[in-house]
Amino acid sequence: MTIRYKDRFAEILETCRPAWPDNPNILKALLAVQSARGYVPTNAIPQIAQVLGVTDAQVAGVLSYYSDLRTQPPGRHLIRVCMGESCMANHGARVFRAIQDYIRMTAGDPTQAERFTVEQMSCAGNCAVSPTIMIGEDLHGGVDPSDVPLLLEPLS
Amino acid sequence: MKTIRCYLADDTSSRAAGAERLADTWSERQEIQLIRTSSRGAFFLEPMVERETPNGREAWFNVAPNDLPRVVAGVGGTPVAGIPFLQQQTRFTFANFGITEPLALDEYHTRGGLKGLAAARSLSPEAIVEELRISRLRGRGGAAFPVWKKWQVAQQIRSEQKYVVANADEGDAGTYCDRMIMEGDPFRLIEGMMICARAIGATRGYIYCRYEYPAAARAMRFAIQKAREADLLDCDDDPFDLEVVSGAGSYVCGEETALLESLEGRRGVVLAKPPYPSESGLHGKPTIVSNVLTFATIPNILANGGAWHASLGTEGSRGTMAVQLGGRVKQPGLIEIPFGLTLQDVLDRFGGGMAAGSRFKAVQVGGPLGSLFPESQLDIPICYDAFAEAGAILGHGGIVVYDHETDMVELARHFMAFTADESCGKCTPCRIGSVRGREILERIQRGQGTAEDLFLLSDLGETMKATSLCALGGRAPYPVLTAIEHFPGEFVRRQG
Ligand SMILES: Cc1cc2nc3c(=O)[nH]c(=O)nc-3n(C[C@H](O)[C@H](O)[C@H](O)COP(=O)(O)O)c2cc1C
Ligand code: SF4
Ligand code: FES
Repeated sequence: MTIRYKDRFAEILETCRPAWPDNPNILKALLAVQSARGYVPTNAIPQIAQVLGVTDAQVAGVLSYYSDLRTQPPGRHLIRVCMGESCMANHGARVFRAIQDYIRMTAGDPTQAERFTVEQMSCAGNCAVSPTIMIGEDLHGGVDPSDVPLLLEPLS
Repeated sequence: MKTIRCYLADDTSSRAAGAERLADTWSERQEIQLIRTSSRGAFFLEPMVERETPNGREAWFNVAPNDLPRVVAGVGGTPVAGIPFLQQQTRFTFANFGITEPLALDEYHTRGGLKGLAAARSLSPEAIVEELRISRLRGRGGAAFPVWKKWQVAQQIRSEQKYVVANADEGDAGTYCDRMIMEGDPFRLIEGMMICARAIGATRGYIYCRYEYPAAARAMRFAIQKAREADLLDCDDDPFDLEVVSGAGSYVCGEETALLESLEGRRGVVLAKPPYPSESGLHGKPTIVSNVLTFATIPNILANGGAWHASLGTEGSRGTMAVQLGGRVKQPGLIEIPFGLTLQDVLDRFGGGMAAGSRFKAVQVGGPLGSLFPESQLDIPICYDAFAEAGAILGHGGIVVYDHETDMVELARHFMAFTADESCGKCTPCRIGSVRGREILERIQRGQGTAEDLFLLSDLGETMKATSLCALGGRAPYPVLTAIEHFPGEFVRRQG
């Protein structure tokens, strides 16, 4: 952690400090931290709690409740595969397996470490062009398992 | 060289179908200018390029970059009015889709937008609620509660602060009409919320938007900014504050009390009702929580009168239904039709048959808490009463078609695992029962199930139905039990 980063972190948190008479909003603060950092480090919980004027346990409770809040840094590319019903019906599970296979293939290579994080997501609202995957904020629809290498290869 | 103006949708699913790639490759071309509109919802035709002709718009389907000469020469197009998928619909709430630019407030206005708000401003708050009573509009988020009743409760309570909250959590997989509204006609949602604010006397509003919808949240923020600049955001001369708030991936946060907990930044757990949000909601103040589609339906009701709305649909289900068709059909997409058509009709008229190589197996209506229907039960009319009678729900209007390759045991396991993951943990039958249910199904999947297991599942299901606080636990057994009911062979075959 550099000093610079610490300052920025404090800065982000400062924007979440509740202005009287508003109540502290823990979820909003955690989302702000995540959108700046990519995740919410658990060792930052005391600092977040202090700025918001709540207990550590309250912050930890909210952090663990929401599946989109991450406590580990994601890989350079975050891949989310939709597991909603329309994607299931269109055999999205096969796409998920193809992604896992692709990544497993490169597993031994140290340059590939931390390249991808793969997660399942709930419906992306792209059900009419399913199966859906999201790479970062980029959404891809109608994905066939055979498309996977083409989609992932260019991502370094 | 003459530049031809053409239209191309700028919607998440249109982009996923290739609209963005097309726009990128054509952006340098002098002969064509692409106006980015909302999508008509016929996603199987996207990317679809349209151009104006003396006889109305013509369209080119599934356009690839090298189709440019055809479009420019005007050959091979189909009149939009002659596309059966669209022609057979009754578009009111989605009348602008495919036609206007989502963020052009002037276009929204020219095409009849803001008339409902103007009408509401000329009426007393009581008269607005009366109009909704006459319209017989029921909430579109899933529970189908009469909208006017909620509004009347909030209106009659005296409070210095009241809130209007749009439920944009759209958690039911297979549904996307809220997303389309936010991306494609955002001012309609704002107008609906402003009418509600006027009716109950609210000065603050929130749009609680699911985390998976970044484009919708962005469009809404732009639209709010534009509405503010145009001085639209006020309620009885007080400024009306409207803000988009992001969720964080919890299905149960779509339930209204959990949503309000989440909006206050806490864990989104379900609270016992009463008190209802309309009495004591956000920060303990009267709050109307309604679905995005519900709000978007209201401008037309105020503009055309409640009686107009009540004249559409069936006895207990007035107005139109936004069916969102997905799964293994040839023609998935958004279908706005009056209530009353049967499931079979919808599949026949709009679905276009099964996707290549697929045979029909079952259809699920109403998202992850909705029942499965086999081929023999497709004659059920799409309306709240018929579905309630069958023990099923319309939910938010999602219809997903499964093909012959779908493994019903795996599907049932998926639903139980979903409930186990998403349960807020408040009631034991939902929290523990869903985990037990998942374990039993995993056992069956491994070939170690016994005849006893199916009784156990059914027993467990009945307990969850009877004793859960909200519909997550209370309805989670339905897809599982209907899978067993209609496809018992698949479950029995696996027994050890
Ligand atoms: C588990 C659960 C999830 C729900 N998810 C949603 C949702 O994503 N969107 C929605 O509008 N309503 C959802 N609801 C229904 C809401 O509780 C509430 O009834 C609705 O927002 C009211 O709006 P309406 O009257 O316009 O339907 C959900 C309910 C439950 C029990
Ligand atoms: S049924 Fe499940 S989700 Fe609903 S309140 Fe009970 S534990 Fe929470
Ligand atoms: S089910 Fe996958 S995008 Fe909706």
